[in-house]
Amino acid sequence: MTSDATHPSRAGRGNPEPIGTFPPTEEMLSEPVPEELARAQEERLRKTWETPKGWRYWTAVNNSEVGVWYSLTAFGFMLLAGVLALLMRVQLAVPDNDFLSAETFNQFFTMHGSAMMFLFAVPMFEAVAILILPAFLAARDMPFPRLSAFGFWCFVIGGVFVMGSVLFGVAPNSGWFMYPPLATKAEGLGSDIWLLGLSFIEVASIAAAVELIVGVLKCRPPGMRINVMPLYAWYVLVVGGMILFAFPPLIAGDFLFEMERSFDWPFFDPERGGDPMLWQHLFWIFGHPEVYIIFLPSIAIAAMIVPTAARRPMVGYSWIVLSAVGTGFLSFGLWVHHMFTTGLPNISLGFFSAASEAVVIPTGIQIFAFVATLMVGRVRMSLPMLWIAGALAIFTAGGLTGIMVAIAPFDWQVHDTYFIVAHLHYTLFGGMVFPVMAGVYYFYPFIRKQTMSERLGRWSFWLTFVGFNVTFLPMHLTGLKGMPRRVFTYPGDIGWDWLNMISTIGSFIVAAGILVFAWDLIRPKGHQPTPPRNPWDAGTLEWTHDVPAENWGTRSIPYVTSRYPLWDQPKLQERLDAGRYYLPDAAEGLRETMITSVIDARPLQVLRVTGPSWITLWAAAFTGGAFIVPTFHIYWPAILSAILAVACIIWWLWTSTAQIPEAEHKDVGLGLKLPIYVSGPEAPGWWGVWITMLGDSTAFASLVFGVFFYWTADRSFPPEGYPFVDMGLALGGAVLLSASWAVNLWVRGTARRQSAMQALALAMLLAIGGAAALIASAALPGLDPTAHVYPAIMWALIVWIVAHVSLGVIMQGYCLAGFAFGRITARYDAPLWNTCLYWHFLALQVLVAVAMTALLPRVL
Amino acid sequence: MARRQWTSGEADRAEFREERRSLFRITVAPTIWALHFAASYAVAGLTCARLADDGPDVVLMRLVIGAGTLVALGLIVWLGWRSWQQWDASDEGRRLDDQPTSRDRHRFLGHAAFLLSIVSFIGVIYTVLPVLLIGSCL
Repeated sequence: MTSDATHPSRAGRGNPEPIGTFPPTEEMLSEPVPEELARAQEERLRKTWETPKGWRYWTAVNNSEVGVWYSLTAFGFMLLAGVLALLMRVQLAVPDNDFLSAETFNQFFTMHGSAMMFLFAVPMFEAVAILILPAFLAARDMPFPRLSAFGFWCFVIGGVFVMGSVLFGVAPNSGWFMYPPLATKAEGLGSDIWLLGLSFIEVASIAAAVELIVGVLKCRPPGMRINVMPLYAWYVLVVGGMILFAFPPLIAGDFLFEMERSFDWPFFDPERGGDPMLWQHLFWIFGHPEVYIIFLPSIAIAAMIVPTAARRPMVGYSWIVLSAVGTGFLSFGLWVHHMFTTGLPNISLGFFSAASEAVVIPTGIQIFAFVATLMVGRVRMSLPMLWIAGALAIFTAGGLTGIMVAIAPFDWQVHDTYFIVAHLHYTLFGGMVFPVMAGVYYFYPFIRKQTMSERLGRWSFWLTFVGFNVTFLPMHLTGLKGMPRRVFTYPGDIGWDWLNMISTIGSFIVAAGILVFAWDLIRPKGHQPTPPRNPWDAGTLEWTHDVPAENWGTRSIPYVTSRYPLWDQPKLQERLDAGRYYLPDAAEGLRETMITSVIDARPLQVLRVTGPSWITLWAAAFTGGAFIVPTFHIYWPAILSAILAVACIIWWLWTSTAQIPEAEHKDVGLGLKLPIYVSGPEAPGWWGVWITMLGDSTAFASLVFGVFFYWTADRSFPPEGYPFVDMGLALGGAVLLSASWAVNLWVRGTARRQSAMQALALAMLLAIGGAAALIASAALPGLDPTAHVYPAIMWALIVWIVAHVSLGVIMQGYCLAGFAFGRITARYDAPLWNTCLYWHFLALQVLVAVAMTALLPRVL
Repeated sequence: MARRQWTSGEADRAEFREERRSLFRITVAPTIWALHFAASYAVAGLTCARLADDGPDVVLMRLVIGAGTLVALGLIVWLGWRSWQQWDASDEGRRLDDQPTSRDRHRFLGHAAFLLSIVSFIGVIYTVLPVLLIGSCL
């Protein structure tokens, strides 16, 4: 009855409050559900969450379907990239080999790296998280299922396009980090394929990050406070945040890069004031955190397997949280350690060398926490634990060489040699491949309701583990003996030949191990007995799954009071199955999950999530067209495709999100009624926009960083006597756009439909006028973006703002239509809140952009 | 609108209210590390690249970075002290904070923030070492 427990939801005028009792009493929980009712509820839930049949199967958006497709596709790309590696190893087995031509070899190493990073490691994290996170949280699904499906289809289309280029001999060939000028000057389509194909996938990654962050913060079961949530969720939260700050600089870099490739804007061309180093900075500001984006979620799997194997809770939960958050931050201070040989001042190298050593502290802490847990527990050396043990051994070895190469003078010796190849494979195999394999063995009974073979698993482990070390351990020596990376062959008289032969033999042993695993994964297992529901005696909620499988995610959403509910809440499973917890029914036949508060997981809302649809495929196909067609320097079909993609997404939002419900509240059971429609900061959609715009602002900040970078690096920036952006027009544009923002905000406060519509129309006109003024401010003084990098970067900022204003106008138009057709009212105003939030960010970007274009060059 | 009757399982005190901001608060110390890191890098970059016409003014650079370091360390120590208090917010001393109560959640967030301020403190010291040891741009 305490007043401090209520928390004000004044946001979104008149969001209704939950009514009733929370937390549930023991008495309420033990009240039986009549059998008849329970069976009817099950029937309704089953029907609501049914996976579409036949060819409509591919319209599914449920996390259990999308997650499986996603992970299998990523695994498929991994096998393809692995084949490229084997072919390269064959080429390098003996000196002076002519098995592959130099050009083919260049394409293969570029695609091996790019595919392993962008088509396997990062998507695999997203896939696994989409697949298992809702189960850890006993949520029915992710908050935005169609967004997951859209992201997946974008990934498939982009991945097939990029990977397919190898077959036509036009694959990118400048290395996976695409350094200009090699990559900008490269003949053919390769660089464009890399840029546009992978930008497309980066967008999918950001979509996944939004989904996962909102999932962790808002979709936890009632009672699962932030201090009892599974460690996996902590890692996902941290990694989602890292993606928002790491991927956008690369997207900004891709934008600059493609403007240079397509329209000759000289961002990386020193002859016209550009600087190839800017690309290296933007790429590695992405690239180094990315290593940890891959590593943390994989080690998160270890953090779930270790307590189960040790049969006790993790030692030092807060320490692991410290480690995840600390690593997430420090990993952003390492990027220049990839650039130690580029001639930066030594003092600058020193900062990055120091941070590279400092990151060992949080990384080490989590490893020690794992080891401590194993030491104090009663370890059962299960197959997943064997893979984790291998992972820890290999990762630690990779970490030790990491400390060596973080020291700049040592790095100068081994930079671009096979020592680095060995180091990065030790960290990535130990930090990603092995834990993920462990995870597949561990979660397989949950995902497929079958078990993988213990015998084959041990074969696979020992083949992979031994083969890995045979391949990569000698490479340290090969590198110290001076063999550079990326050479397609070498002479036979300098002592590299036997080391290379050993590595090649080892690589085939690894391949054998992976093949045993792949066979075990896909072989028919129909004759096997069904495994027990909780085969490892784990303590976390995914093992409340239904055997045989049900699509509803969880029969009812439990009230959770422990980090290891299955160990500490003995009646949980029985009550969950009996439908005694929350949302045991789908009376309206709509897919629903629960939204809870960020810190204490108090129930807030019943969220109606989207169901199967073709629209996600269409939207992905047209988005693909918009990114892929420009590769061939054809632009009109691309623009048409982009328009169609936007149309698909509008249709999808209009028909399935923020629907006005039939009632204000819904009875979710246990004496609690929750609101159905919530707008503003309480709503998951608002959080989605907020998180997306945070990432968007990071990309914008990267462009701003570019301006300062050019200024720092080049004494003649901006060049003498070059025209400035017109001050009057730029300020006028800023005033018009700010007015549009203000009018939009006013609409959110008004209750009158007619004036809201008129105001929105005015806001759209103001925004269009503002964008036109900004374009004119650079066009009229005659800034030519191909002449020099100064006008080019000014134009880049303006193009960025104009593109965002276009989207902002579409959103205002969406709200206008919403009012016109009764989809938005003063009470049901979620789209309006989201549009306003978007415009907050946009207005800020406009002000910064005008300051950067009109004011700053005059000061400099 | 009917009033919710939240039955509270424990005696929530006012300070244990749902701390919506405190999730962000645990990231404040590492953010200070990040700002200090970026600022030190920028100052060094400016001194050694852009403004190095008549020979870089290393003394000024070291003073600026040194002053920034003192500010950063001071803030981190203050945050660390506050989170130490938050962690110890009970009569029972420091113990595991794994119970599903507002008090344990409050202490957990304090503990995490405290540990992160230690790591951030060490991180800032690491960052400033090159400035102390190198003494030039080289």
